[in-house]
Amino acid sequence: MEPYGNSGCVSSSASSSSSSSITKPPEMDNHLAEAGYKVRSSDLRHVAQRLEHLENVMVNSPNDLSQFASDAVLYNPADLASWVDSLLSASDFSTQLPISIPSDLDYPDAIMDQTAPPNDAWTDHHSAAAPPQHHHHQITAFTAMEEDSGIRLVQLLVTCAESVQRGDLALAGSLIENMQALLTRVNTGCGIGKVAGCFIDALSRRVFTPQSVGSAAGSAHENELLYHYFYEACPYLKFAHFTANQAILEAFQGHDCVHVIDFNLMHGLQWPALIQALALRPGGPPLLRLTGIGPPSPDGRDSLREIGLRLADLARSVNVRFAFRGVAASRLEDVKPWMLQVSPKEAVAVNSIMQLHRLLGSDSNRSAPMEMMLGWIRNLNPKIVTVVEQEADHNKAGFLERFTEALYYYSNMFDSLDACAALQPDKALAEMYIQREICNVVCCEGSARVERHEPLAKWRTRLGQAGFRPLHLGSNAFKQASMLLTLFSAEGYRVEENEGCLTLGWHSRPLIAASAWQVMPSPEATATATATATNNPLGIINRNANHV
Amino acid sequence: MAGSNEVNLNESKRVVPLNTWVLISNFKLAYNLLRRSDGTFNRELSEFLERKVPANTIPVDGVFSFDHVDRGTGLLNRVYQMAPKNHAQWGIVDLERPLSSTEIVPVIIFFHGGSFTHSSANSAIYDTFCRRLVNTCKAAVVSVDYRRSPEHRYPCAYDDGWAALKWVKSRTWLQSGKDSKVYVYLAGDSSGGNIAHHVAVRAAEAQVEVLGNILLHPMFGGQMRTATEIRLDGKYFVTIQDRDWYWRAFLPEGEDRDHPACNPFGPRDKGIVGLKFPKSLVVVAGLDLMQDWQLAYVDGLKNSGQEVKLIFLKEATIGFYFLPNNEHFYCLMEEISNFVNPDC
Repeated sequence: MEPYGNSGCVSSSASSSSSSSITKPPEMDNHLAEAGYKVRSSDLRHVAQRLEHLENVMVNSPNDLSQFASDAVLYNPADLASWVDSLLSASDFSTQLPISIPSDLDYPDAIMDQTAPPNDAWTDHHSAAAPPQHHHHQITAFTAMEEDSGIRLVQLLVTCAESVQRGDLALAGSLIENMQALLTRVNTGCGIGKVAGCFIDALSRRVFTPQSVGSAAGSAHENELLYHYFYEACPYLKFAHFTANQAILEAFQGHDCVHVIDFNLMHGLQWPALIQALALRPGGPPLLRLTGIGPPSPDGRDSLREIGLRLADLARSVNVRFAFRGVAASRLEDVKPWMLQVSPKEAVAVNSIMQLHRLLGSDSNRSAPMEMMLGWIRNLNPKIVTVVEQEADHNKAGFLERFTEALYYYSNMFDSLDACAALQPDKALAEMYIQREICNVVCCEGSARVERHEPLAKWRTRLGQAGFRPLHLGSNAFKQASMLLTLFSAEGYRVEENEGCLTLGWHSRPLIAASAWQVMPSPEATATATATATNNPLGIINRNANHV
Repeated sequence: MAGSNEVNLNESKRVVPLNTWVLISNFKLAYNLLRRSDGTFNRELSEFLERKVPANTIPVDGVFSFDHVDRGTGLLNRVYQMAPKNHAQWGIVDLERPLSSTEIVPVIIFFHGGSFTHSSANSAIYDTFCRRLVNTCKAAVVSVDYRRSPEHRYPCAYDDGWAALKWVKSRTWLQSGKDSKVYVYLAGDSSGGNIAHHVAVRAAEAQVEVLGNILLHPMFGGQMRTATEIRLDGKYFVTIQDRDWYWRAFLPEGEDRDHPACNPFGPRDKGIVGLKFPKSLVVVAGLDLMQDWQLAYVDGLKNSGQEVKLIFLKEATIGFYFLPNNEHFYCLMEEISNFVNPDC
């Protein structure tokens, strides 16, 4: 007798008439997929049995169930089978080996007590000052007329982009003039006026002064400065660093020699927190090597080395053995693995915060620089690769599509910035950072266009094809990212879990996505693999005390 | 829980398809982990576990969606509409033209369920449901992301619902028909149904026109225990204990379940006699332990001289409308479609 009722005539594995935008292998249960869960039809019965078992365990558990929940670190909730199993194994306390990361209490301290090295390179983190409601009222002075003008501006922008795509620059030009006139009737300090202003400016450059576009990029030094203001004014970069550090910390567990390769050092803002966390690690800190990649300094200074020295000072103050190496390269694809001097005995973490997209070309299906880079990253045999990227589709071939995507994306980003309590002129400088990005997306083509953002789904495919598999960020990372948000920003930001990755966005629109990857073991180990000399299968903790 | 746990699991397994059982059992177990006995809620873990989907201005199966944040309240509404016939307009959100200048296109304001505590407008289950509503009813749907308990108790959800109603009524691009007005229906499942009722009351008092209410096993209750509650306790995914927890989390502290929010037409409610209240479609699942309160609600409407149609689905459990794999689902969609398109 069928233990499960079939009160409907439609079987669960029949192809559903309402397929959704979720693509899935054919054997997944369609209906559960539409509910956001991935379960193979053939596994349904097994999952049901496990759910029953879990329920019995929970019913018989002596403790408050909510305690049970905080003990388990959960990974991918969409994968019901593994979710149920991880809860079941968490309930079996005798065999549980907790993932020992510093407790929640340690983390906020580690960030807030960030001591400034002697020459005060780091600005202190300040928590949000003004209450968000106050700020809201200031920016909601929206008359009905303004709202209409705002709508009109958006329509004109889209029409203008369309004429640019068609090559009708004369029409585009006159539309730009119209828009500039309309701009005088709206509030360009915030909201739609501000965003429209940026995009009109970008279009104007593209149409009227295309030759000046390259110089809009600004010097590397300027970029670093603006980056710093962007870092302070909103939580995106903090979230990126925090989430990546958490994953790196977990991956480095049990290793005594660790090496982090940072694809874009900037001011090294990400690393003090990791150094401090490693210092507090149970069992003591490892030897930490940091290789920071960055553009060469034009004026003869070695800015990479300066940052390395500051980080070394910090490490020394918390008794972490530390070594730094700077690799100067104008483009990421110029970096070659031999420059990084990876030793086979060390656990390697590759960290890319908004860098990988620069390697994409116009045809994102075939990108030789990207393939090459992912290839050599893989050959380094890293314990973990942390990737943070803008969650946007700004690499579409068609200009209009790209333009409207960017309009929507950056509107959300500007709105989110408005809600933070950043004071002027810091806020304006943070916005300038964003404006430069917008300019690159809108004005540049070919190799000049480096801001080729692609969404998480595409990165998943690309990294999967390159031989990486996702390392799911767990519920701990999510919880701590959420806590970070409450410390540093305003209402409206949302951290969301997306199949093992975490996104941070504004209301329901994710704007930045953080993911972690490890190398898929391949049966055909390549002959060129340099770091695979050791026979260390992935995932097994190295208990040998290897000192360099 | 009444009865042994094994008996309860066997009961629910018999009446729903396997994948529905997996889905709702999963919710049940996850929710058990999130509710704390001291009345607090593990919101972070809840958000981590919640399956969410983004809006999509590109039509999928004939429906596109976009999110709107009201700058004044910070309230998020997700709007679903039928895809434009002209492919060239796909991906472009038109906020000027009405839905139609000739035909009437109903606008359904939908309040998702979750016992006032769980889920969001962008939850996968509700996004999917709203899309189905658009296709079946040829309507526009606005799903409201109301503030949830225990962080935001009564009357926050009702205030948010009322704000959403006013917003919808004032959108020119949601107007239709020859007389250019917004043809509004309120709908909701579980706590969403409760919200729909209370917003409709506020609308009637303010003489704002709502054409109809659609309540899917709405969440009502009362201080006493009814026979069905005791009989069905724990048998079909829901327990009296968890219901009590959600009411304690939603109602003002110290209040009991005869509070009018929980028990309209109960001893403390002032009633709606004489109000121009919209017609109601109330759907009751025969295996829902709270059905007596829903049936009492239907009686209350009738006794107040209001128009109501009851659909009693004898073999249905809660959440039967999440997956289109049972006859109750199809019956429901047809009834809703007829309700909002009365002349077709």
